[in-house]
Amino acid sequence: MGLTNTDIQSAQGVEQTDGNIITTTIDKVINWGRKNSLWPMPFGTACCAIEMMATLASKFDLSRFGSEAIRFSPRQSDLLIVSGRISIKMMPVLKRIYDQMPDPKWVISMGACASCGGVFDTYTLIQGVDQFIPVDVYIPGCPPRPEDLIDAVLQVQEKIASGASPKGVEHLLET
Amino acid sequence: MQGGLERATGEKMVLNFGPQHPATHGTLRIVLELDGESVLKATPHAGYLHTGFEKLGEHLDYNQYIVVTDRMNYLSPLSNNFGYVLAVEQLLGIEVPKRCQYIRILMAELSRVADHLLWLGTAALDLGAFSVFLYSFREREKLYSIFEKTTGARLTTSYTRVGGVLRDLYDGCEEDVRQFTNDFPKALKETHTLLTRNRIWMDRTKGVGPIAADDAINYGLTGPCLRAAGVAHDIRKAEPYSSYDEVTFEVPVGSNGDAYDRYLVRMEEMIQSCGIITQVLDNMPDGPVNVEDNKITMPNKSDAYGHIEGLIHHFKIVMDGHGVQPPKGEHYCATESPNGELGFYIVSDGSGTAYRIRIRPPSFLHFQALPHMLEGGMVSDTVAVLGSLNVIAGELDR
Amino acid sequence: MNEEKEVEVQPKPLVLQKLEEHHADALLSQDETRGTLVIVVRKEQAYAVLEYLKTDPELAYTFLVDVTAVDNSQMESELMQFDYARFMVVYQLYSYQGQCRLRVKVPVHENDLSIPSVAGLWRGANWLERETYDMFGINFDGHPDLRRILMPDDFDGHPLRKDYPLRGRGERESFNFDKQNV
Repeated sequence: MGLTNTDIQSAQGVEQTDGNIITTTIDKVINWGRKNSLWPMPFGTACCAIEMMATLASKFDLSRFGSEAIRFSPRQSDLLIVSGRISIKMMPVLKRIYDQMPDPKWVISMGACASCGGVFDTYTLIQGVDQFIPVDVYIPGCPPRPEDLIDAVLQVQEKIASGASPKGVEHLLET
Repeated sequence: MQGGLERATGEKMVLNFGPQHPATHGTLRIVLELDGESVLKATPHAGYLHTGFEKLGEHLDYNQYIVVTDRMNYLSPLSNNFGYVLAVEQLLGIEVPKRCQYIRILMAELSRVADHLLWLGTAALDLGAFSVFLYSFREREKLYSIFEKTTGARLTTSYTRVGGVLRDLYDGCEEDVRQFTNDFPKALKETHTLLTRNRIWMDRTKGVGPIAADDAINYGLTGPCLRAAGVAHDIRKAEPYSSYDEVTFEVPVGSNGDAYDRYLVRMEEMIQSCGIITQVLDNMPDGPVNVEDNKITMPNKSDAYGHIEGLIHHFKIVMDGHGVQPPKGEHYCATESPNGELGFYIVSDGSGTAYRIRIRPPSFLHFQALPHMLEGGMVSDTVAVLGSLNVIAGELDR
Repeated sequence: MNEEKEVEVQPKPLVLQKLEEHHADALLSQDETRGTLVIVVRKEQAYAVLEYLKTDPELAYTFLVDVTAVDNSQMESELMQFDYARFMVVYQLYSYQGQCRLRVKVPVHENDLSIPSVAGLWRGANWLERETYDMFGINFDGHPDLRRILMPDDFDGHPLRKDYPLRGRGERESFNFDKQNV
């Protein structure tokens, strides 16, 4: 796979001297690789999952942004997309799946229900998954449009490229 | 989840299928007891998406609740909107204008096509036919754009209102819909060539998960699953609501009640829906889309801003305790949603909010019948059967 | 009100004639609202009536559409009508043969929260009754597998009762989410 000039210029902290020699730091290269090969684990429960499917399907095609390798096994994924309502019966499952994902891992909370309970302020619904798992990017909307999900994935990519830690490990770094 | 796989004593193995599994169409869970590859016992578990819709119905007023019905069967929100407002209108004892009835049929049939398309895409995806998923989403996106232009939203439409619809069809809607119904049979034919006579598809679905007609009735199956078992029952024909008696269509019926028949029935229903849509467009009456009763429907924006009466009507409808207030009583209204009989049982105490709203979900009874179809089959058939039933978790768990 | 009077003039529907003939003592009230027949049946005879409705060849209500309940504790008029029975278990039936619907309601008192299960008559009743148990706490005697279905097994309370608050009693904040045996 050859690198184009645009690729190289887009990777921060990478300098190309003449010819084929590139100087950079190992972190930058790893982050650049991570950023462009996110493997999402879709945790689709409700309406948002249908929009997530639309994002993956023909018209919107998330694979244009290097995230087409959808993995249904948490152990192979590094991006958890929580799309839909999470009930108190489902929350332990979500937590377990999050715990099973290898670090570093990022979480997108897609839609109003996952982020804050949305229109369902009821006895059974978790009012925001961030009470239990760390969330990196929130998407508003009920459900968000596919473009919104693509934008969220791009934001996760930016976050990775900038070298920022995922929300999930920040508390470890503080101590 | 009990650690995924667990070896039980003896020869049996317990396999946990879901609740988070690519082929579970949401949050379904089945615990399978296996002997080698054959299924000895299947125990479905529901409730992972329980949201409290019925409780919420006791706290929202009649028009607010339309928003909640969107999120029930999120494959075809317009059908849910339709079924719900029909129940409230029958409780109120009003009938909406002819044009409104036709618009609702139009939207309900379009969403039936959209629902079946998504079912088709995911059911085929589960069995490894990835292209079908892309093909059906291509068609579904065309419907999304019609829905979005009509209702303002792709998925959560909230289009109907008690006593009417949000707004009339947009200019050019007829051309868009005709374009779709014109192109769609050709697009569906592509899928037929991919699947219908495909050796793998037939092997995976023919004779898989069969259910006999009397068992299907006993289990309370409705919709395409019941018709695939050979019972020619369709609420649109048996108890025509909202001008369904003015359109002609066929009710496709299967004979074996297996996954293949359910596939064929749904495929034919999409074609029949296109026929209904064409008839509706041909005979679309003119006139208002809302009932002309200021106590039920919102006034026009121009009236609300320009006239004191309009402003008062607007205010009274929106204010708590002044809006739509059906008389004391109860009503059960069933409609033929894409998945089967979707019923709303509403008990009113005469106030602006329902005393009790019960939703009779088709998926709940379909999922319950799953062990009957699985037991004695192979573990790999689980995916095929579950896919063919189109169990929607939002509707199952409410 | 006028409509109801007109209905009374018409000949009685077959189902009511037959029920009066065979189960007259079971009927507490009969009514027709908005095109659907509604009968209220004594709890003791509920199973016999439902079995009769299903198996009688002329009636053949073979399709049990729905089983649910209504908590009438905040509806004074309903409470008074049926001897202060707090719950009303509601069965929706449909006959493919006669293409007609029937609603059977059974009052259940709070001090005796049990009613015979019809899961042996219709297999579809199994989950519907489980849901009613889960949401209202009504026990179905003779049910093969009466467990919670929508709420977690260790959940406390019955959400659709009128005295249960919409936002719950703090379960969604304090529920045990770390348990391993999910």
